[in-house]
This record gives sequence, structure tokens and C-alpha cells, in this order.
Amino acid sequence: MSRTGTRALGLICASFAVLCITVWIPLDTDTGLIEKVRRRVEIGDALAPTVAAVFVLMGGLLLALAPGPTEAEDRAPWRGTLGFGVAMLAMIVAGFAVMLVAGPMALALADTVQGSAREYRLLRADTPWKYIGFVLGGVIAISGPICLAERAVTIRALLIGAGAVAGMIALFDLPFDDLLLPPNGDY
Amino acid sequence: MDALGYVWLGILAVFQGPEAFALLGVGVSVTLVMVCAGFLLGIVAGATPGLGGPIAMAISLPILISAFGFTPDALLPVMGFLIGIMKGATIGGAVPAILFNTPGTPDSYMTTLDGYPMAMKGQARRALRIAHLSSASGDTFSDIVLILCAPFLALMVEAYLDLPEKTALLILSLSFIAAVVGGSPGKGLISAGLGLLAVYVGTGEDFYPRLSMGTQTLNRGFPIAAAVLGVLILGTVFHQMAQGHADRLRPSGDAKTPDQDADRALSWPEVRALMPTILRSSVIGTVIGALPGIGSTLAATIGYTSAKARHDRHSPPDATAFGTGAPRGIAATEAANSSVSGANLIPVLSLGIPGNTAAVFLILAAESIGGFNPGPSVFRFTTDQVNPELVIAFGLFTCMFVANLMNWTVGGVFMRSMGFLARVPRHRLLPVVLVLTLTAIYVQETRMEAVWFTLGFGVLGFGMRLVGMSPLPFVIAFILGAKLEDSARQSFSATGGDPWFLFTSPVAAVFMALSVLVVVLGARRRP
Repeated sequence: MSRTGTRALGLICASFAVLCITVWIPLDTDTGLIEKVRRRVEIGDALAPTVAAVFVLMGGLLLALAPGPTEAEDRAPWRGTLGFGVAMLAMIVAGFAVMLVAGPMALALADTVQGSAREYRLLRADTPWKYIGFVLGGVIAISGPICLAERAVTIRALLIGAGAVAGMIALFDLPFDDLLLPPNGDY
Repeated sequence: MDALGYVWLGILAVFQGPEAFALLGVGVSVTLVMVCAGFLLGIVAGATPGLGGPIAMAISLPILISAFGFTPDALLPVMGFLIGIMKGATIGGAVPAILFNTPGTPDSYMTTLDGYPMAMKGQARRALRIAHLSSASGDTFSDIVLILCAPFLALMVEAYLDLPEKTALLILSLSFIAAVVGGSPGKGLISAGLGLLAVYVGTGEDFYPRLSMGTQTLNRGFPIAAAVLGVLILGTVFHQMAQGHADRLRPSGDAKTPDQDADRALSWPEVRALMPTILRSSVIGTVIGALPGIGSTLAATIGYTSAKARHDRHSPPDATAFGTGAPRGIAATEAANSSVSGANLIPVLSLGIPGNTAAVFLILAAESIGGFNPGPSVFRFTTDQVNPELVIAFGLFTCMFVANLMNWTVGGVFMRSMGFLARVPRHRLLPVVLVLTLTAIYVQETRMEAVWFTLGFGVLGFGMRLVGMSPLPFVIAFILGAKLEDSARQSFSATGGDPWFLFTSPVAAVFMALSVLVVVLGARRRP
């Protein structure tokens, strides 16, 4: 990292640590650094996180105050990688979001067509309902980043996604009756 | 029961445990099968650039726990499998390094320096044989040192260290890891501090789960698998994918190897000539491996550098120079990086302090299954009744020797047949690894929150790698955080609420002084 970048990182971490020590930890713990219980002094719940924040503060101050490498040694290391990382994360989050809602949505659609009113929770371990979300979301979460890296939507990427999802079903679902594929445990 | 009795029970636990199948009427135990399977999978993982041992362990662990359950009977098969992966991945990493100039694991980078030039001279199989011989020798040497040292170190800790000293020792370990691992002590301290802060969310002794912001989501804290796998595995996947993109998707394994007409097996005089280099590197790797947090990459670098310096001083001018296809270059690197794996378990088994990523997964397995708490209490040689943890410890040592036997017998042949894996494109493999990891975590936790937490920790791990901060102090702090707080609370109570409890005993005071010294010295070198 550049000298400026290192200093900025140090300042951000030190500020976060100060915020933790002065605001978050005191407001979000019911006991202080030490407390008296039946005339005995004991360590309170706030001490350990405060020590942790002091670690971050010390590290931040070291980075902010001590000299680092010069600009010429290493310019922004995230150039070209950060944007791709964010896009990839968005793709995976989208995949898991689809995974979460696809099964119940498919059931609602089937109920509308058939005129029935079933509850997804009762069908979460039944075929095909238990696979709908996992297959759709899984293929998006696998094929999406591959297409992103290849800068094209390819049949091969989709096949890799579908094959990998089928492999995971064979690995987790077929041999074990008591395991639930995502997102069925949430229903 | 005496010490030999415990050793024997440990061996029996491996060979006479639950039976997987019978071969010619003789039962083969599940543990034995799992160690062998783990070893072969480890070679595959090591030989696949971008995969490696830690990712293979991360994916396997939840599946293994699902298959074997949470009973003490699961400990040896699950941990044996992980030990197999750990050992297999080390030798597997040399395959793409030698054949395609692409290190399968970071510690195989130095192997490329002489391995690939040998392959270019048509001696690829010979280079692989040297790598295998050195790796298996270093690994076996390191395991022997582990078995001899770990029990004695644990007994010393139990005999001489009380609660305040143990607390100070944990602080010293964290400071040491923060100071020596990764970019700089400043970044190491931040990484360790964040790990501690994360593990304290939703825990504590009060009725209100601290730092939970009053939410149901945080009041159970972060699952250990979500934090560890998120920062280590997802962070790696994000970073490797993004870096591959930045490198304009340069596919791995582009390099071609010429016809291997100059290839042949190693002769006995050649083996004898390599042995001094292998032994010296094994000692270097073992010493480095015994220190928590210092990984096999540094061991490989020091092993190679020291062998090169010796070669430059003592070899005739017409000898093959290091960096141009010197067999000793491969031997020095592979012996050093392989001898780290056994020695790295010394702090785990004797102190309960994980020293590297592989050890983190062994502790994770032990914590998830229960019935085995790595640390000094394991090595209590009780005579009136059997200490089951000690039997497991000797069972683990037996598993290590079974994996070594596999390494010496089929390891070489298997690793030499894995060259094709170097051509698996990273950008197609890593998204599969990512979803597989998230699915494995979901199957274990059965709530989507765990997936979101893992993704969040993955982003943190990615960010850490972008700014050159090692995620290992974070993970080790996360694992040690609860133990550190418990130990401090007990010490504080035991000393009657003495606020200076970490400085009243000379040993604890020395540990605390060393904790400060190691950070100060590290900061003076690289802030």
C-alpha cells in the first residue's frame, strides 16, 4: 500500500476503535469493565471487548504515525480488483436471495393454478419443492461470477453451475435424510 | 495405566475402531479409510492451483460432521481425514510448480525456481521424485519431533503455569502472531483486535448478550464456522477471482513442458547426496513450524536460501546453479515446507494455540464434535482411570504415521499422475468452491443468517487481503478469544481481584514483557 493509504487505513481503524471504546461498548453492555457481585470484584462484560478495541487502536496508531513504503513502491493494490469483487458479491447475494424466495414463489404459483392453499413449511423436505430455490439460486451464484469473469454469458458457465448444484444435492441431500438444503431450514 | 498403555490404546483406536469394510476377512477401520481418503484428496487439492489444503479442509469439515455426527467416535475419522488432507496438499502443491511453473500452494513457489527448469530439460518426473522424497522425509521427521515434544511441553505447562501465567501466555501468543504474520505488526494488531471484537459479540456472563445491539440476529453471536470460513476461504475466493480478472484472466497452466526423454528414477548415490540438504531443511522447517503463526512459506524460503548459500560456498563451479534446475533446490524447499505441518501441531496439542490454517481446522473439528479439547490438559497420564482425550491424542499421532506410510508408498505415484489438474481454470472452479462452502455452512447451521454472516466475513477477508493484512491473526484471535477471557476472569477471581494479576508472578510478567517486546521490535522493523 502507499504511504497515504496506510495512514488512511490506520486513521480509519483508530477512529473505529475510539468509537467502540467510547460509544458502542459502554452503551451495548450491561456491566462495566469491572463489577461488584456479592462484595466480590469481578471482571465485567465490557472489559474483553475494550481490550480488543485497544488492540485495534494500537494497530491503527502504529500505521497512522509510523512511516510506510513510498508511493512508488506500490500504488493502489485494489485497482482493477475492487470493482470486480463488488460485482461478484452482488451476483452471489442475488443468487442466495433468489434461493430464499424461489421455492415459496413457485408453490404460490402452483397453488394459484391448481386452486389449492398449501404451506411451504410443510413441503420443505419434499421433491421438487426443496430443490427449486437451491437449484435456481445456486446456478445464479456459480454461473454469474463465471460469466462475469469471462465477460460473456456462455452455455458452458450455465452447465458448470447446473452440474455443480447437482453434485451438491448428491453430496448433502441424497445420503442424509436429516439435512436441509438452503433455504429450507428457514421455513 | 502407564504411558505405553496409552500409546497402545491410541494405536488400537485407529486400527480397531468402527469397521468400514472387510478385506480378505480382516476388518478395515473407518479411521484408516478416512486418513487414506483425506491424503489422496489432499494431493488432488494441492495439485489444483487456487484450491489447496485449507479450502479442501473447509469444504470437507461440515460434510464430515454431517456424516459422522457429534459423538466422540467421530473424532478420529474426521480429524484423521483432515490430517490426511494437510499432508497430501503439501506434496500435491509441487506438481503444478514443477510441471507448469504454477505453484499449487504458496509454499511451493520456491519449488518452481528449480523444478520448472528441470522439467524444461526433460527431467520432470525426476524432479517430482526429488520433491516427493524430500517432502515425505521432512514430514516424517517433523512428526517424530511432534510426538516427542508435544507431551513434554504440555506436562511442563501443566506443572509450572498457573491461571495468570496461562492468561499471559495466550496474550503472548496473540502478540507474537500479530507481530510476525502478514504485512506488519500494525496490521497484525488490527486483524487480531477485530477477531477478538467479533468473538465477543453476543456473548458474556450477563443476561444481556453484549454488543448485540438489542437484535435477535446478533444475540447468539457469530457462528465460528461462519467467521473462520468467511474470512479465510471466501476472502481467498473473492481475492483470487478479482486478481485473476485484473490479470486479464490469464489461464493457469499455459506453460508447456517438453518431451521427458531425459527422465529416470533416482539412484541411491543421488538420494544419499540429497540427504544432508533434506535433513538441514527438515530441521529448519520443524523449528519454524513449532512457532505459532509462522507458516510453511517462510520455512520454504529460509530452507531454500540457506541451501543456496551452502551450495554457492561448497559446490564446484561446474555444478548446476540454484535457479537453473538444481535438484538440491527442490529438495531444500520441499523438505522445509513439509516439515512445518507436523511441528505446527506442537502448540495446538500442547498449548491449545493454533499455529496455522490447518491447525485452525483441526481445532474447529474438535470444538464442533466435542469430547476433545486440545491443550495441556490432554496429556494427563492418569493411572486410576483412562483419560479418553489422551487416547485420542495418540490416535491422532497414529493417523499421522498412517498418512506418512501412504506418502512413502502410493503418494509418489499418485502425485505424478495429477499433473492435468493444473489446467483446471481457476475462475470456473472458485465460484463452485464458494457456493459449496456456503451450502456446507447452511447445512450445519440451518439458517440463512449464517450465510449472510459468512458472506460478510468474506468481504472482510477480501478487504484485508486488498490492504495487505493477513487474516490469520483474526482467525486465531476469534478461536482464542473466549479462552482468553475465561482464563482472565478465573485468574482475577483466584487472585482476589488483584488488578495486577498478570504482573505479580515472574513467569507471567516475563510473558507480558515479551508480548510488548515482540510488537515493539516488529514495529521498528516494519510498522
